[in-house]
Amino acid sequence: MVRQGGDGRLITILTDALTIAAKDLRNEFKTKQTFSMMAIFAVLVILVFSFAFDPTNNAVKAVIPGLVWVITIFAGILGLNRSFTSELENDCLTGLRSGPIDATSIYLGKVLANFTIVTLVQIISIPVLFILFNYRFTGSYFWFILILFAGTLGFIIVGTFLSALSANAKNSEMLLPVLLLPLLSPLMIAAVQAMRAALENENLENAVSWLQLMSAYDLLFFAACLLLFEFIMEGS
Amino acid sequence: MTYLLMGYSVIFALIAGYMMILGKRQKQIEKEIKQLEEWNQEI
Amino acid sequence: MMIKINNSGPIDRVLFYILVPAFLINLYLIFVWSPVEKVMGDVQKIFYFHVGSAWVAFLAFCVVGFYSVLTLIKPKMERFIYAGISAEIGVLFTTLALLTGMIWGRASWNTWWTWEPRLITTLILWFIYVAYLFVRKMEGSWEKIAKLSSVFGIIGVINVPIVFMATRWWNTKLHPVVFGEGKDQTGGGMEPEMLATMFFSIFTITVLYVFLLRKGAQIEKMREVIKKAKTNIINKIAS
Repeated sequence: MVRQGGDGRLITILTDALTIAAKDLRNEFKTKQTFSMMAIFAVLVILVFSFAFDPTNNAVKAVIPGLVWVITIFAGILGLNRSFTSELENDCLTGLRSGPIDATSIYLGKVLANFTIVTLVQIISIPVLFILFNYRFTGSYFWFILILFAGTLGFIIVGTFLSALSANAKNSEMLLPVLLLPLLSPLMIAAVQAMRAALENENLENAVSWLQLMSAYDLLFFAACLLLFEFIMEGS
Repeated sequence: MTYLLMGYSVIFALIAGYMMILGKRQKQIEKEIKQLEEWNQEI
Repeated sequence: MMIKINNSGPIDRVLFYILVPAFLINLYLIFVWSPVEKVMGDVQKIFYFHVGSAWVAFLAFCVVGFYSVLTLIKPKMERFIYAGISAEIGVLFTTLALLTGMIWGRASWNTWWTWEPRLITTLILWFIYVAYLFVRKMEGSWEKIAKLSSVFGIIGVINVPIVFMATRWWNTKLHPVVFGEGKDQTGGGMEPEMLATMFFSIFTITVLYVFLLRKGAQIEKMREVIKKAKTNIINKIAS
C-alpha cells in the first residue's frame, strides 16, 4: 500500500508553484520594467493626491490610511494586468498547461510572484507617501505590517484570479479593474478601517475585528479561486 | 412634482423600457425567420 | 421547414393571467387600500416597489449563481441563456431598487444618497452585475465564455453576503443604528395592512421576474435555432 500518493501530489503542486513564481520573478528582474513602472505610478498617484488634498494641512492625516491602499491597488492593477497577458505572447500559456503541471500550481505561482512584486512596490512607495505628506509614523509597526500583509494578500488572490480570467478578452486591461474593484469592496473597507486603527494606535480591538474579517475574506476567496481556477485554464 | 410621482414614473418607465427591448428583439427574430423561409422556398 | 415563432407554452399563459390582475390589484392595494403613513405621508408608498425590486435583484443574482454552477458541471446552452437573462433582469431591478431607494431617501431625509449598508450592497451588486455582463460580451466560443462567466458569477455570489457584513460593521462604527429611524421602521413597526401590501408587492414583482425570465430565454433560444438554420441553409446553397 503506497500512501505516498496524496502527500506527493501536494508537494509537487507546491514545488511547481515555486518554480513558476521563480521563473516569473527572474523574468521580471531581468528587465525590471513592470516593477519600476509600478513604483513610479504609485508615486505619481501620491503626487496627484497631494494636489487634491493639501498635504500641509494636519486634517489630511485622516486620509493616509485610505491612501496607502489606493496606491497599492492602483499600482497593483498595473502589474496584475501583465501577469497573464505576458503569457499570451508566443502561446506560453498553452505550453504551461500542456506540461504535467496542475492548474493550481500556475495559480499559486502567479499569486506568489505578484505578491512579491506588489510588496516590493509598497516598500518603496509607502515611505514616499509618509515623507511627502509629512506624516510621522506613531502607530504600531506590528499591526501595520500585519494589516498590510492581510490586505495585500487578499488583493493579489482575487486580482491574479481575475487577471487570468480577463486575459482572454481583447480589452483585458480595461476589463480587469471593472471586474476586480467591486469584488474588492469589502476587503478595502476592512483594510482602511483596520489601518486607521493601527496608525492611530487607539481602538486596537477594532483593528483586530477588521483583521478577522480580512482573514475570513482571504481564506474564503483563496479556497474559491483555487477550486475554480482550472475552469479558467480550460477555457483559454 | 411629488416624489411619489417621480418614483412610480421611474418604475414604470424602466419596466416598460425593458419590455420594449424584448419586443424589438422578438420583431428582429420574426424578420429573420421570414427571410429564412423565403430562402427555403428558393432552394 | 417551419420554425415555430412562439414557443411559449401553457406555463407562460398562466403566468400572464396571474401577472396582469396581480399588478392591478397591487396598485389598488398600494394607492387605495393601504393606510397613509403618518410621518412621511404619501411618499412612503414608494417603499412597496422598492422592497420588491430589491428582493428580486438579489433573487436574480442567486439564479445567476445557480445556473453558473450548473454550467460548470455541464455546459449546456440553455443554462448559459438563463444565467444571462437573469443577469439582465437583475440589472433592471437593481437599478430600480437603487433609484427608488434614492428617491425615498431624498423624500424622508432630504439627501439623495446615504452610506447605509443595504444601499451600498445594492450599489456594489449593480457593479458586479455589470461586470458579469461585460464578461459575457467577450469574444470567443460560447463554451469558453460560458465557463469564464460562470466562474465570475460564482465568485460574485460569494462576495455579496460578505459585502453586506462588511458594510454593516462599517456602518455601526460610523453611525450607531438608531431604532425607529430605519427605512422600514415607521416608529417601531408596520401596520398589518402595510405588511400585507408589502408581501403582495413582493409576490407580484417576483411573478413579473419569472415571466420576463421565461420570455427572454425563449427569445434567446429562438436566436440559437435561427442561427443553426441559417448555417444549414448556407451549407445547402454552397453545395
